[in-house]
Amino acid sequence: MSFVHAEIGMKRGLFGLLLACIAAFPGAAADLPPLTHGLTPVAEPKPAPALRLADLDGKPHDLADLRGKLVVVNFWATWCPPCRREMPSLEHLNQRLQARGLKALAVDVGEDADTVFSFTGQLEPAPTFPLLLDRDSQTMQRWKVKGLPTTFVIDPQGRVIYRAVGGREFDHDAVVGQLLPYLPGR
Amino acid sequence: MNYRLLATPFFRRSGPCPRSSAGNSRTQSAPTKLGRAVFFALAALPGFQAVAAQTQHRDPDTGAVNWETHAHGVTLSLTQILPDQARAFYLNRGFPPRAAERYATACVYMTVLRNDAAPGELSFRLADWTVQSEGQARPPKSVDEWAAQWRALGLAEAARIAFRWAQFPPEQEYAVGEWNQGMLTTGLPPGGRFDLIARWTVAGKPYEGKLENVVCAR
Repeated sequence: MSFVHAEIGMKRGLFGLLLACIAAFPGAAADLPPLTHGLTPVAEPKPAPALRLADLDGKPHDLADLRGKLVVVNFWATWCPPCRREMPSLEHLNQRLQARGLKALAVDVGEDADTVFSFTGQLEPAPTFPLLLDRDSQTMQRWKVKGLPTTFVIDPQGRVIYRAVGGREFDHDAVVGQLLPYLPGR
Repeated sequence: MNYRLLATPFFRRSGPCPRSSAGNSRTQSAPTKLGRAVFFALAALPGFQAVAAQTQHRDPDTGAVNWETHAHGVTLSLTQILPDQARAFYLNRGFPPRAAERYATACVYMTVLRNDAAPGELSFRLADWTVQSEGQARPPKSVDEWAAQWRALGLAEAARIAFRWAQFPPEQEYAVGEWNQGMLTTGLPPGGRFDLIARWTVAGKPYEGKLENVVCAR
């Protein structure tokens, strides 16, 4: 996280908290659907679509550069309730398995860096993986995402092996158990 | 604008907004867990009706009402999004007041469809669903229909993108455990009453679930 964004975050922290509370998806207080404890295997794994996006600091990231790692690509937005609920568990998963070759990428749809930073600064734990910006939603459409959140798991050969439509507890043992066989650093 | 309605949903359950929204990934109310456990236990019994009774409850703070049913291993839920809530959400996404007002008063619901235990991957199209009201039947108002209005009003691309992805998907497929949560409009006036028939297929076989006597928020 750059110094510039850290400074912006400090100045806007309280404002961001207020904004997030007012601007979040309405109806979030209703009984929350449970987060799911599993990923859906893709019957016939195919090469992942291209994913080349910049993060909050403007640094470019290319999925093709991550060949050899097990990559979790999560499409989300700050106003999406299940996206907000599952984000800490994605960070837990990342912390647990990154030394063994897992890499998480979160792709925010349609929002700017300040909005995303203001929100993620309030998360516990805050994400340490790259937060990429898909401002025009073209990447999301290329991946044929139909609703948020949607997550894909890309194996070290660059193939989509799992998908997850709707919120997940990514650090649940059942999910971790599905990922372990594909980690390059088993 | 009723600011109490805007604030209470996010503070009522567990304190500050970010914690209540993002830090509760492990929270599932005991009644909900128990209810699902009972449902699945009953579903395993021979002769159990594939369609369970419809439930309804009102949020004591906001007054928003939720209707939910379980049919053929699928949960269908509608929760009223009050006009103030919808207005605030879209004003914060860059909608001009006129456009936000048009959407906020179009009978909006936070909609959840979830494949809990269907016999396989389900697929649906919102165009196949039916809103029945006062002897008339029509599909929910489509995302494309709204999008055309926003283009005509000259809404900024960022606002239109936020709108698109905040809506319940026009079509989708869910394996067991998959689900979405999004906004759905009937286009009925405030206070209007209707039945919603949701339709989906599993391996080409049609199924449906119905919510009856649902009421549009005022």
